[in-house]
Amino acid sequence: MIPSSQAPADLSALPYHDTKPQGAADFYFGINATFRFIRTKFGLPGLIAYWRDLGTQYYKPVWTRWQALGLPGVASYWRAFFAAEPGSEVTVHEGPGEVIVEVKTCPAIRHLREHGREIVPEFCQQCYHINAAAAEQAGFDVRVTGGNGSCRQRFFAPIGGEPAQNLEEITRC
Amino acid sequence: MLGSYDFCGHYEWTFEWLRQRGGEPLVVKYWDEGIYQDSQRHATNLIAPLGFEGMARYWDHTLVEEGALFSAVKGPDFFRIDMTDCPSKGFLIRNGLVQYHDYCDHCMGWIDPLMRDAGFGIDHEHNHQGQCWWEFRKTGVPGAPSAPGETTPGDVRLRPDWDGGNVQRFERER
Repeated sequence: MIPSSQAPADLSALPYHDTKPQGAADFYFGINATFRFIRTKFGLPGLIAYWRDLGTQYYKPVWTRWQALGLPGVASYWRAFFAAEPGSEVTVHEGPGEVIVEVKTCPAIRHLREHGREIVPEFCQQCYHINAAAAEQAGFDVRVTGGNGSCRQRFFAPIGGEPAQNLEEITRC
Repeated sequence: MLGSYDFCGHYEWTFEWLRQRGGEPLVVKYWDEGIYQDSQRHATNLIAPLGFEGMARYWDHTLVEEGALFSAVKGPDFFRIDMTDCPSKGFLIRNGLVQYHDYCDHCMGWIDPLMRDAGFGIDHEHNHQGQCWWEFRKTGVPGAPSAPGETTPGDVRLRPDWDGGNVQRFERER
């Protein structure tokens, strides 16, 4: 295992670049509100379809890089991603055939809670559905456990026989 | 997870996702119900009770946090913003992200219903190049928007590159 502290974030691993080093935390309000709007209009299946479309379409530059670089590319992406998210406490470990993202403090849940926002109950399922849709394009899979502020995300190259994601293992908010 | 760092990228992508499922009316509904009434309730909580002072507090916080280049001026009967480098549209331009046909419409999409409910009207122009200006006045108060340079030396309309874009105008009901 290589703790993220031994592998500093390289922002060039991100597909898009801004002039500031981190995003504006109030944008988490927009993300949560967007999920609620789509869930209200299309139901949970519609929200899941939105997440999967994001994973395959918007995240194409991400999974294209994962295709090219393999699991080290997955690890470097998540290091860079969370380095650019304000208030996150995350470690990324690379092991044989897997990358584990340990989210000690989710920046989105933290900011939404600090500001008293009602969080969409299935908010944390985004991390399974978006990531799975993207990872599948690159030949990987993901499992998520926990949520509502901290979670564990395991990216791996499937060799068959892995149990499917149990969505009950993703905590509701 | 969706990040705040590239928020403007997936936000703009979402406009087109919605348009393909419900046309422009669904996009407009999203800006009103999802963004104004839900996401931006912190803006409403400042502007509705405090008026121009609330506008100053809201935009001073949010535009600094987003990394905008802008100026704002509060007059006796108006509040004005000049945006010389929109962090949101600028992010899209720099990263070559275009899914929806007119990203800039989202600002009027959520700010207009907020201001109507709070008792204000809007004069506004944007040039689709990350530059725009806004003047807010109380509903029913007469008065045309200021002439270029009349209220602030930071008036974006004085910039040589202002007319380089496709300028779209919105006028307050008088």
